[in-house]
Amino acid sequence: MDNSLLVSLSQQLAAYRSMDVIANNLANISTPGFKRESAKFEEYITRVAPSEGQTGMQSVSFVKDAGVSRDLSQGNVQTTGAPFDFAINGNGYFVVQTPQGMRYTRDGHFTLDANGQVVNSDGYALQGDSGAITITPADTNVHVGQDGIISSTVNGLASQIGKLQVVDFANERTLVKEGANLYSTSQTPTTAANATIGQGMLESSNVQSVLEISHMIEVMRAYQATASLSQSQEDMIRQAVTRLGATPN
Amino acid sequence: MRALSIASTGMLAQQTNVEVIANNLANMNTTGFKQQRSEFQDLLYQNVMTPGAQTSDQGTFAPNGIQIGAGVKTAATYRVTTQGDLTSTSNPYDVAIQGPGYFRIQQSDGTDGYTRAGNFSLSPQGQLVTQDGMLVQPGIAIPANTITVQINAQGQVNATVAGNATPQTVGQLELTRFPNEAGLNAIGGNILLETAASGSPQAGVPGSPGYGTVQQGFLETSNVNSVDEITSLITAQRAYEMNSKVITAADQMLQQTSQMAA
Repeated sequence: MDNSLLVSLSQQLAAYRSMDVIANNLANISTPGFKRESAKFEEYITRVAPSEGQTGMQSVSFVKDAGVSRDLSQGNVQTTGAPFDFAINGNGYFVVQTPQGMRYTRDGHFTLDANGQVVNSDGYALQGDSGAITITPADTNVHVGQDGIISSTVNGLASQIGKLQVVDFANERTLVKEGANLYSTSQTPTTAANATIGQGMLESSNVQSVLEISHMIEVMRAYQATASLSQSQEDMIRQAVTRLGATPN
Repeated sequence: MRALSIASTGMLAQQTNVEVIANNLANMNTTGFKQQRSEFQDLLYQNVMTPGAQTSDQGTFAPNGIQIGAGVKTAATYRVTTQGDLTSTSNPYDVAIQGPGYFRIQQSDGTDGYTRAGNFSLSPQGQLVTQDGMLVQPGIAIPANTITVQINAQGQVNATVAGNATPQTVGQLELTRFPNEAGLNAIGGNILLETAASGSPQAGVPGSPGYGTVQQGFLETSNVNSVDEITSLITAQRAYEMNSKVITAADQMLQQTSQMAA
């Protein structure tokens, strides 16, 4: 097949990939703590034999996937009023204990379970400085400070329950998304230095609809342009076949 | 093409979101109703190239990797159990809870149910019942020739009977708490049931540590904030629209593809 068709094909596959990433961003526009992603592509150059009238090796460049990069900027913080909704302002992640090990999340929606432990929507325990955090029925007015210190009032006296564990990583971008708003990594977490906690708030996703929709239109138009390019290539081949193959009478 | 199915998960999630908001708005004037919110999670990711994959023998690593998401799902709809405003009704059998706790009532099948809707009445036998005729637990009977009923903040029910100037104590209202009140199962009729997630009920007298107090002649309104709900409704509707635009765009791309072969 002609190289131009193959180059077009590589671009069309890239457009499909971009569309998938945009669709996932828009689908997760209401997912707390979700970070938008964008597909990155790179040029792949091959050398081909010169065509008629050219000398030396010619280069043809295809497009290929380079990666999907995550935009780690802060999402808007929304007030919910729920006492166990926490938003992290700055860099950092909450730690939850799952059956597969420790997982990290920026989705700060937690509730209590039947034993009074602070858990996420899947029932995984949120980790404090000394393991899971338990709120007893005697604890009233549970308050979480900006530094993550959890305190309450027991029989009219102030009592300290623990401290939320907020961690950071040397390389945040290599955290692997696991779904269910969780990340996993083999990196060793360090205590987050510049993170503050907001109680009764949730961090919304940082997806910006205008950006995604305009990007989507761009991808769609690029796809259409390539498709019509392939179409004209095909027409050229067809014409060549009919003209050159026509038997002289 | 994955974009089609991803966008459809987005539309489904926003549909749930709108349904929850609609239910909140419909119950704006329901006594003791607690606002619900939907919580979303991203779906599994397909690892085309894992972040941190080695790209050469020299120990260079891919900084990003390629992970393609599969959309979004509704993880939970949860109740926001903040206090609702108290509204004065002057009805002696309207009791509002100020602070944590639920009234325990006996359902028609004999099992316990819990409610914060304190709009009680009397049964033909003079017992304190809910609007559906279910008994408030522990049972409280008001004597037939009662002139006035006083319920104090600690839930003690005193009745002044005709011919006797001294009020007599006829019962004591109790409140029930749960380790996780968001885990209670709502069955309609303002009634919540105990579940494995809520933990076991702990009864107490109103006003004791950890329990709210009761207020006679008041009702707790729903804690739904209309401005909040309408704003969420607009956001949800726009998000729904945008996901449908993705479907249109993906459809056009597919159409273009099939036309190429024409």
